[in-house]
Amino acid sequence: MILARAGWRHHLRHPWQAALAILGVALGVAVVVAVELANASSERAFTRSAEALTGQATHRITAGTAGVEESLYTRLRHAGIRPSTPVVEGHVTGPDGPLRVLGIDPWAESGVREAVAGAARAVDAALWLDRDDLVVLFRDDARRLGVTEGDPLAVEVAGREHRLEVAAVVEAPDRLTAEGLRDTVVVDVATAQELLDRLGRLDRIDLVIPEGAAGAVRLARVQELLPDGAVIGEAQEGAAALDEMTAAFRLNLTAFSLLALLVGALLIYNAISFSVVQRRALIGRLRALGVGRGRLFRAVVTEGVVLGIAGTLAGLPLGYLLADGLLELVTRTITDLYFVHNVREVALAPTALFMAAALGVVAAALAAAAPAWEAASVAPRTALDRATLEGRARRWVRPLAGGGLLLGAAGVGLLWGGSGGLVVGFGGVFALLVGAALLVPWAVGGLADALAGPAGWLLGAPGRMAARGVAAGLSRSGVAAVALVVAVTAVIGVTVMIDSFRGSLATWLDSTLSADVYVSAPSQTGEPPPELPPQLHERLAEVEGVESVATSRQLRVPSEFGEIQLRAFDHGPVGDAGMAYKERGPAAWDRFERGEGAYITEPFAAHHNLEVGDRVAIRTPAGERHLPVLAVVHDYTTSQGAVFVARGFYDEHWQDDAVDGLAVHAGAGIDTDALIAALREATGDEAGVLTFRSDAEIRRLSLEVFDRTFAVTRVLQLLATIVAAVGVFGALLALALERSGEVAVLRALGLTPAQVWTLELARTGLLGAFAGVLAIVPGLALALALTDVINQRAFGWSLQFQVDPAVLAQAVALATVAALLAGLYPAYRAARVPPGEAMREDG
Amino acid sequence: MSATSPTDGQAAGPCPTKGRQPPRSPAQGGAERSAQDLLIQLQGVCKGYPEGGGVRLVLEDLDLAIRRGESVAVIGPSGSGKSTLLNLIGAMEAPDRGALRFDGMDLARLDETARTLFRRRHLGFIFQQLNLVPTLTVLENLLLPLELNGALDRDGRRHARALLERVGLQGREGTFPEHLSGGERQRVAVARALVHGPGLLLADEPTGSLDRETARTVLGLFNELRRERGMTALIATHASEVAAAADRVVALQGGRLDEVSAA
Repeated sequence: MILARAGWRHHLRHPWQAALAILGVALGVAVVVAVELANASSERAFTRSAEALTGQATHRITAGTAGVEESLYTRLRHAGIRPSTPVVEGHVTGPDGPLRVLGIDPWAESGVREAVAGAARAVDAALWLDRDDLVVLFRDDARRLGVTEGDPLAVEVAGREHRLEVAAVVEAPDRLTAEGLRDTVVVDVATAQELLDRLGRLDRIDLVIPEGAAGAVRLARVQELLPDGAVIGEAQEGAAALDEMTAAFRLNLTAFSLLALLVGALLIYNAISFSVVQRRALIGRLRALGVGRGRLFRAVVTEGVVLGIAGTLAGLPLGYLLADGLLELVTRTITDLYFVHNVREVALAPTALFMAAALGVVAAALAAAAPAWEAASVAPRTALDRATLEGRARRWVRPLAGGGLLLGAAGVGLLWGGSGGLVVGFGGVFALLVGAALLVPWAVGGLADALAGPAGWLLGAPGRMAARGVAAGLSRSGVAAVALVVAVTAVIGVTVMIDSFRGSLATWLDSTLSADVYVSAPSQTGEPPPELPPQLHERLAEVEGVESVATSRQLRVPSEFGEIQLRAFDHGPVGDAGMAYKERGPAAWDRFERGEGAYITEPFAAHHNLEVGDRVAIRTPAGERHLPVLAVVHDYTTSQGAVFVARGFYDEHWQDDAVDGLAVHAGAGIDTDALIAALREATGDEAGVLTFRSDAEIRRLSLEVFDRTFAVTRVLQLLATIVAAVGVFGALLALALERSGEVAVLRALGLTPAQVWTLELARTGLLGAFAGVLAIVPGLALALALTDVINQRAFGWSLQFQVDPAVLAQAVALATVAALLAGLYPAYRAARVPPGEAMREDG
Repeated sequence: MSATSPTDGQAAGPCPTKGRQPPRSPAQGGAERSAQDLLIQLQGVCKGYPEGGGVRLVLEDLDLAIRRGESVAVIGPSGSGKSTLLNLIGAMEAPDRGALRFDGMDLARLDETARTLFRRRHLGFIFQQLNLVPTLTVLENLLLPLELNGALDRDGRRHARALLERVGLQGREGTFPEHLSGGERQRVAVARALVHGPGLLLADEPTGSLDRETARTVLGLFNELRRERGMTALIATHASEVAAAADRVVALQGGRLDEVSAA
C-alpha cells in the first residue's frame, strides 16, 4: 500500500508527465479507434443495406447493364415461379444527396422483402396503378428531408429534374432494417423505369427458391426459361461482388490502421516506459530498503495499467470524434471510386472498441513491464546509476539493429521473392517498417557520434553537446525517435507512391485523351452512363470544325468471371489513337476493328491472370462468345478492369445502337471553347442536360477525383505524424526535466539562457533531422513496395516509380520541424532552469 | 553590465525589511582589512524563500568579507544556508536585501545576462555531484570555460592539457565522465574550475561523495593548485578535514554567520 502511495505521489508531483503518459495512450488509442470505427461503420452500412435489399431472396436473375427483358418476369410468374419479384434499382440526386430508388412490384414483394412489402401496402393499390410519380419513404429519411405524406419530392436524374410525391411515410420493422434501407425510396417498377430511363427492362428478378429437390426442380425450370445473356445466380453474389470490389480499398485502410496502431503502440510504450525509467533511482532505493523484485515489478506494472486505463478512457471518445471526420472521407472515396455509398453515422463497433481498448491497456502494461523488470532485476546500486542504464540500453542497440536487418530482408523476400497475395504483401511492408524501426537507435547513435565534430565546429560546445546528447538520451528518446522515423517513413513511402500514381495517371490521360471535346450525360458512380439522344453523334459530326466523332458504350455484362465492365468503341478515322498499350499481339487493332477479339485493361488481366492470346468468355444476348485477348492496355478508370470490343461486334451481338459517350475530334486550329458552343447549339434542347468537356477539363477533373481519393490516406499520414510528434514532445519534455541538473551546471559555468535554448533546440532539431534522414531509405523502399507490389496485387495497375527530391527534402523538414515544435516548450523550460539548482542541496 | 536588481536595503524577495544592523566583527574578519584587499563583501544580506504561505528565512542580516587569496570554509548543519550563500556569491541568485560586492562590483544590481557573464569570467565551480557535462569528454569539459570566454586558442588547449596532467589524468582526455571513478571526476572538476583563471573558486561539498582517501587526494590537489595561483576560495563543507585546510572557517547557524577560526 505504501509502495503504491509512493508511486502515485510521484505522479502527483509530476502532473505534466502523468498527463503526457495519459495523452500518449489516449492518442494511440484514438487513432486506432478512428480508423477501425470508420472502416467498420462503412462496412456495416454496406452489409445492412445488402441484407435489407436481398431480404429472403435466394437467387437473382441478371443480364448485366442491359437488364432483363420485362417479359421474362411475366413468363416466370406464369410458370409458377413464386415468390419472385422484379427490381429496377438506381440512384437519383435528392434534396440532400444521393437517394436509392428501389422499383418493385407492390404485389409481389411479400415473402421476399417484408419491410418493402409493408411500404408498398401503405399505398392504395389503385393509386399504384394510376400514378407514376409516387414514392414511399421510411420515417428517418422523411424526417431528415422534412417531408410528409402528400409533399412533393424533387429529384434529379442525369441532369433532369423530376417531381415526385410522397405517397406514404412508413416505419421500418426494426432498427437493422431501418439502417439497411436508409436513403432508400420505394417506387413502383414502372416509375423506376421511367425515372431511370430503363423502359421495358428490369435490373434483376429476385427469387425465393427452397432448398432440396423441389428447389432443384424449380431452378432447372428457371434455367429453361432464361434467354441468352441472362444468368441466374445466388442472391448474395451481387453483394459479394460489390464487397469484393471494395475489398482492396478496405484492406488498404486496415493497413493504415495497423500503421497507426504501430505508431500508437510506440507512443504508449514511450510515454509509460518513460515514467518508469525516470523512477529508476527510486526503484533502486526501494530495492536497497528490501522491497522484493516481484512486488516492485507488480506495483510498477499496476501503475502502468492504471495510466493505460485512464488514457484508454480518454482515447475512446476522442477516437469516436475522429472517426466521424474520417468516415466522411472514406464514404466519399468509395463513392468516387466504386458506387454510391452513403453512411451518415459512426457505428459503435464493439470489436473495434475492444481492440483499441485492449491495445491501450496491454501496450501500457507491456511498456511498464519491460523497464520495471530491468530496473527491478539489477542490483540496487546499479539501479541508482543513470550511466548504467544508458550503457545497458546501448548494449541492446547492435542486436536490435541486427534483428532489424534480418526482418527487413524478410520483408524484401515477402514483397519481391514470390507471388503471394495482398496480405503477404502487407506482411512484407510491415516487416520492412519494423525492421527499419529496429535499426533506428543504432543509426541515431552512429549519426550523432559522426556529427558531434561538425556540430562542435559550427556551434561550439553547445553543438557538440547537442549531437552527443541525442545519443546519450537514447534510453529516453529512442522510442520517440523510432515512432518519428516510422511516421516519416510512411509519409515518404505514401507520398512517393501517390506521386508515382498521379504521374502515371497524368501520363495516361495525356496519351489517351486524344479528342478535343467529350460529351456525356451525368450519372452516379458505379451506375451505367445514361444513353445520349439518338443520332446525336451524327448531328455533331456535321458541326463546322468537327473532323470526326468517336462513340462509346459502357455497360456491365455477364461473363465467365461474373459481371464485368464492357466498353464498345467506334473510333472512326482516329484508329487506336488513345489506346495506351502495355502488350499487344500482331495486327491487334485491325483484328479488334473486325470484331475478331477484345482488348482488356491491365487490372482485368491482373485479376484474372490473362495475357495476349488467352480467351475471355462473354455472355451476349446472341449466346456466349469466346474472345481472344488481342492486347492489354493501360487504364486507370476502374480497378476492376474492363473488356473493350469494337462497336461493330457489340451492335451485332447486343442489337443495341445506343451511345453513352462521344469524343469529338476537331480540325486543326479550331478553338475548343468555340467548338463547345457550336456543339451545344447543334444539340438543341438536350444540351442543358448533357456535359461538354474539353480534354483539359477531363484531365483536371480526373486528377481532382484522384486527389480526393487519397485525402483519407493523407489524413491518416498526418495523424500518424502528429501522434509521433506528441511522443517526441513527451520524451523531450521529460528529458529536459531530468537534465535540469546538468543544465544548471552549464548555467553556473556561464552558459546564457539563449545558449541553453540553442543547445536544447539543436538537440531537438538534430533528433528530428536524424529521424527524417533515416526515414529516406525505408521510405523509398516502402514507396517501391507500394507501387511495385501492393498496387499490382490490390488493383493490378503498374505505376511508374517517380521520386521528386523535394518530397524527400520536405520529409526531412517535416521531421525536423515536428521535433523542433515538440522541443520548444522543453527548451523554454530548460532555459529557465535557475543555475542555483546545481548546488545539490541547501546545506 | 546593466543594473536592474534591487538596491541596498530594498526588499526584492520574501525576506522582510528590517532596520540595518551594524556589522559584527567575527565574520567581517577584522577591521584591519583594507577595502583594496577585499574581494567579496556581504553587508546585511538577507535571503528567504516562500514556504506554505509564509517565508522561510535562510540568511538573515549576513555580513561577510573575504580577502583576495584567502580560502574560507563555511560549515553548518544541513539547511543552515551554506548552498544559498554560495548561490548568492556565485550570482546564481540575488539577495532579497543587503549589499553583495565582488571586487567592488555590486552583484545585486546585475541583470541575468550580466550575472551569467560574471560567472563565466570570474568564477570556478566545484559541485558535489552533477559536476561534469556527461556529453563532453574530459578534455572538452576543461575546454568549455575557455570556449565560453573566447579563449579557446592553442595556448588555452596547451594550458588545459597541462592542468589535466597536474591532476593526474593525462591519457584520459577523450574519456567520457561516465567511465571515470568518483575521484577522477572530482579531479577533472577541480581542473575545470581553475582552467580559465577565475578570481574566485566556489566549492559545494567538493569531497562529499568521495571516500576518505580519495577525498584527501582531491583536497590536496585543490589546495595546492589554488595556492599556486593565489586564488580566493569559498568552500561549503561538512568535512572537518576540508574545513581544517582553509585559512578561515565560518559557521552558519540559523541564518547567521559566526567566525570559528582564523589562520
